[in-house]
Amino acid sequence: MNLEKVIFGFFIVMALTLNFGFFLGEMDNPQYHNVYELFIVIVVNLIATGLKLGDRTQIGAILLSTSLVADLQLIAAALYWTLVVHVTKTGLTPDVTASIVSLNGGAMVANIVSVVMVVAETLMLRR
Amino acid sequence: MANPRSGNPVVFIVLREMRTPILVLIFVYALAIFGMALIPGRNGEPMSLFHAFYFVMYTATTTGFGEIPEEFSDAQRMWAIVCLFCTVVTWLYSIGAIIRLLQNQFFQRAMEELYFIRAVRRINKGYYILCGFGDTGSILARGLSDSGIPGVVLDIDKHRIRALDLRDYTVPMPGLCCDASEPRFLIDAGVKSPRCLGVIAMTRDEEVNLKIAAVSRLLNPGIKIIAKSASAFHEETLATLGRDTHVVDPFKVFAKGLGAAIYNPRLYILNEWLSRAKGITLTTRLRLPPPGRWIICGYGRMGKEVYRVLVGFNVDTAVIDSRNHEDDIDIYIHGRPTAKTLRAAGIDKAVGVVAANDDDGRNLSIIINARSLNPGVFMIVRQNKNQNEIAFSAANVDIIMQPSLVTARKILFLLIAPLLKSFFSYLVKKHWQDPRFTGRLLKRLHKTLGEAAPQLLTLELREDRVHALYRAWSQGGEIRLGDILRDHREREETLPIVPFAIRSVDGALCFLPDDQVVLRPGDELLLCGSETALWILDATLNNEYLLYYVVTGRNLPRGYFMRWIRRKLEGDEALRWPRRPAVV
Repeated sequence: MNLEKVIFGFFIVMALTLNFGFFLGEMDNPQYHNVYELFIVIVVNLIATGLKLGDRTQIGAILLSTSLVADLQLIAAALYWTLVVHVTKTGLTPDVTASIVSLNGGAMVANIVSVVMVVAETLMLRR
Repeated sequence: MANPRSGNPVVFIVLREMRTPILVLIFVYALAIFGMALIPGRNGEPMSLFHAFYFVMYTATTTGFGEIPEEFSDAQRMWAIVCLFCTVVTWLYSIGAIIRLLQNQFFQRAMEELYFIRAVRRINKGYYILCGFGDTGSILARGLSDSGIPGVVLDIDKHRIRALDLRDYTVPMPGLCCDASEPRFLIDAGVKSPRCLGVIAMTRDEEVNLKIAAVSRLLNPGIKIIAKSASAFHEETLATLGRDTHVVDPFKVFAKGLGAAIYNPRLYILNEWLSRAKGITLTTRLRLPPPGRWIICGYGRMGKEVYRVLVGFNVDTAVIDSRNHEDDIDIYIHGRPTAKTLRAAGIDKAVGVVAANDDDGRNLSIIINARSLNPGVFMIVRQNKNQNEIAFSAANVDIIMQPSLVTARKILFLLIAPLLKSFFSYLVKKHWQDPRFTGRLLKRLHKTLGEAAPQLLTLELREDRVHALYRAWSQGGEIRLGDILRDHREREETLPIVPFAIRSVDGALCFLPDDQVVLRPGDELLLCGSETALWILDATLNNEYLLYYVVTGRNLPRGYFMRWIRRKLEGDEALRWPRRPAVV
């Protein structure tokens, strides 16, 4: 067993699971989508991105780009949330909530690609 | 481009041929438009130039929208009739001129050459020029394609080039129907390009082969040249063409192989196995006849070579041929090989028969005759034409010698595995010292590769080929041959690869190197392994994480952060490559 692989896999998988947790529930109902959960999703995703920096292989490059896509989408969702609650003060109306959750859905697809690639690469090894 | 023939001729021909039709077209259009713009309409006013242009445009192409923008006056209608006839006829004339041009065979030829030159220029890696696409050429092209090396084919027969177009090669293989000995076609085929690795002259005509070789050498002094030749005169001339010129004489190659088969059957099996000959495995045993009389039927190019080899091994040999000869032969029977002459040569007590004529029908009849007179005799037969294969395999002889196949294999080995020749010389030398040496090598190959088909790979340790290895070297790492031959999926397992030879930059050769040999930049390795294994090896040598794992058994952390942690916890040494031991 390799401790580095454990840590790496842990953060990659957790980025996906938390993301999925936030995504789950009625799309336009803010009750199902917790702001702290979104915060943690972003933090874990950023950590996962950090762990992927510095890999010189092709797979490493694609892994990093999937993470960057997820970060971009999640940060866009968080910015939108902040904007409607604090700047325009319109609050989380159903259409705003739907937009935020759909941005999250996009990030989740990027995270799924990332997990699939990590698993596939590991399966190629016989050790 | 310096070459005035490249690219421009087609455009030039089109422009020249279309000059008159275009001028006539412009003149007729201008006249029709101008007239239309002058003739008064129903309201007394003539059309504007724009409307006149519009009307003539759709009328000339016989589209005929009608009288637009308003009904015409009778005067306009009369002019419209004139316009219609003149412009339509002019159109037909211009289109006819284009079609005539497209059907012109010289124009088609120019187009073909243009496409060919473009296709050659698009090849983005090293390629060989194959002159002649007969039996040898097509086998060689297939072999090159299997090894991922592109080729450019020149053949004088347009049916062969058409056959080439239908093949499913995995690499570009453009072809042109032309006389390959004409220098301009060799230039079209890219003989002067830095990507051209070599020229292979294997047409039926030896004079042509010689000329191709000489022209290529003059046009590009640095390339490899291989010429098929079976006459002493041509071989001598070719030898004067300098370094990296090789002559392949199918009969000499075969006779050498036959000599090897008699002297050391296992070496023959190894060669056949590496060529992926049908029905040959590493465990195949050649059923050689006991010592005794051999009969050679046909004393041509092949017969002479075989005779020389057999006599060299002190084999009692008889020759049957109807031609006269000057050589000193003990038993020479004049006449065609019939039951009578075969008996005269001693077929009833002979152990081997060689049917070496350049006529397949005659060779087949020799087999039948000889077998009826002596059923147990060992038979070697020459098959001249590829299409007679079914008849020859039905004849169930011991060795079939097909000159085109022998040539193609030999050339392919020269191209993809130049070290193989020295390796075989090494095996021959070893056999003198220890007759069981080749047997042990075959056993080792069988143990390592199993039943997998062998693939030869010449691996040059250059930066663009093995960049992970170069990175390791730049960090002071020392890599041994045994390290890179481990499987990067599980380093305790070794890849099914047997290294045959290593040539270092200074030319020193090491055969069957062991795992402890230290690799150096610029080394050239000759490896024999299964296709998958060579593919895995390539991945290892180009991915520094995999290479680090197979060399050290530890995983190199991939990200900056993990590397930083490892350095903090275990010190700098944890990320280093194994170093050369300090010189005492």
